[in-house]
Amino acid sequence: MKNGSRPAVAVEGLTKRFGPLEVLKGITLEAHDGEVLAILGSSGSGKSTLLRCINMLEVPDGGTVAIAGEPILLKEKRGGGREPADGAQLDRLRQKLGMVFQSFNLWSHLTVLENVTEAPVHVQKRPKAEATEEALVLLDKVGLSDKRNHYPSQISGGQAQRAAIARALAMRPQLMLFDEPTSSLDPELVGDVLRVIRTLAEEGRTMMLVTHEMAFAREVASRVIFLHQGRVEEEGPPAQVFGAPKSERCRQFISSQLRS
Amino acid sequence: MDLDFLWTTFVRLIGGVPLTLQLAFSSIVLGLALAVLLAVMMRSWFTPLAWAADGFVFVFRGTPLLVQVFLIYYGLGQFRPVLDDMGIWWFFRSPYYCALLALTLNTAAYGAEIVRGGLQSVPHGQIEAARAFGMSGFTLYRRIVAPIALRQALPAYGNEIILMIKATSLCSTITLMEVTGLAHRIISETFRSFEVFFVAGAIYLAINFAMSRLIGLAEARIAPDLDQASRPAEVH
Repeated sequence: MKNGSRPAVAVEGLTKRFGPLEVLKGITLEAHDGEVLAILGSSGSGKSTLLRCINMLEVPDGGTVAIAGEPILLKEKRGGGREPADGAQLDRLRQKLGMVFQSFNLWSHLTVLENVTEAPVHVQKRPKAEATEEALVLLDKVGLSDKRNHYPSQISGGQAQRAAIARALAMRPQLMLFDEPTSSLDPELVGDVLRVIRTLAEEGRTMMLVTHEMAFAREVASRVIFLHQGRVEEEGPPAQVFGAPKSERCRQFISSQLRS
Repeated sequence: MDLDFLWTTFVRLIGGVPLTLQLAFSSIVLGLALAVLLAVMMRSWFTPLAWAADGFVFVFRGTPLLVQVFLIYYGLGQFRPVLDDMGIWWFFRSPYYCALLALTLNTAAYGAEIVRGGLQSVPHGQIEAARAFGMSGFTLYRRIVAPIALRQALPAYGNEIILMIKATSLCSTITLMEVTGLAHRIISETFRSFEVFFVAGAIYLAINFAMSRLIGLAEARIAPDLDQASRPAEVH
């Protein structure tokens, strides 16, 4: 094993198709503790699908995903494809992964504070008082203390995404997954969300970040992965991927993104 | 205006309110349980179950409640020997039980559509978020799906409750002495149909006014953010 420890997440030979469309064509990668992995690529390159395969929101057709050394068990489904083989195992491993969605997906019937305590209390069975105390600290951290009793419909997109980050952190995850966290935000709200994510990176949290924010990825990532048509086209430290990409496609993509 | 007559009529008709409310609430509670079952059947992967539920809704929503009441009370009377053999004649002999059955089946059909719509309206992303945090099965339904569906369905379901309270008046046609049944009896004694039906209508109006306020309170409690009157600062 690399670095003498098992990776927080190890993906091997991942394939996924939607009908005739082959979205992932064999992805292999690892994220080690403390790493910030930025996943870049044009739309349709499969980067969101890759992230969603890690917590089995999409079940890959081939390959394996291991969380902290434990492979997620899958079985063949009748009529093709695969499905999780052990629901209890999947639920347990998912608790190690804090997912942040592009469209926030806060629970609309719960206040901001209740959104943050919901899974710790009802999935992890932690005492409510303890979960609430921790939630208040997290909401303070993302700058939402004053919105804790608001409902998702009563706050802005930027606030909702920061609440969603607090909700994911409340699970005390080993790995944070960000699926284009700023893509559905108005430009003036992006900064606050990126600031929060940068703080988490500086704390040494392990993160995988699918993003279109090139400058941000270059700044916070410890490693950058460039996907093209379902394959890892380029991989390396930001200085290399942004400064001297080996692949012509990666070079084109980066120059087109940085220009715009 | 004969206030004395209105008052005595009012007092006599109030005597029918307990039966009206009993019919309404029993059928609403039983009908809701059946509606949830039907809605779950409609969403089932096992198609015969879904067809059965769809067929039930098709029949009971597509025919008049009055015809359903007559069919169960008068129609099934024709099969008395069979029902006797099955040991369930005591049920179908009773106008109360027949009325309750018709009301229950009818509201279940409408309720099933409301519950189904509520379940369908739960945003997929919110279910996905719960799954991503390791929530599944019954907990997922109890903590996320059901409360969000309820928020969506409550206004429509409140309407159904009001409709059911009014629909109990049809039970007077099979001899039940609820508010409308009593009104008929008073009219046959006094021939003063205007005053008597006027008072009866006022009683239904009062019941439904109270009911709609209760539904409004329930909505404000379950979905405070969708309620115009409640401001975020007041939510604690």
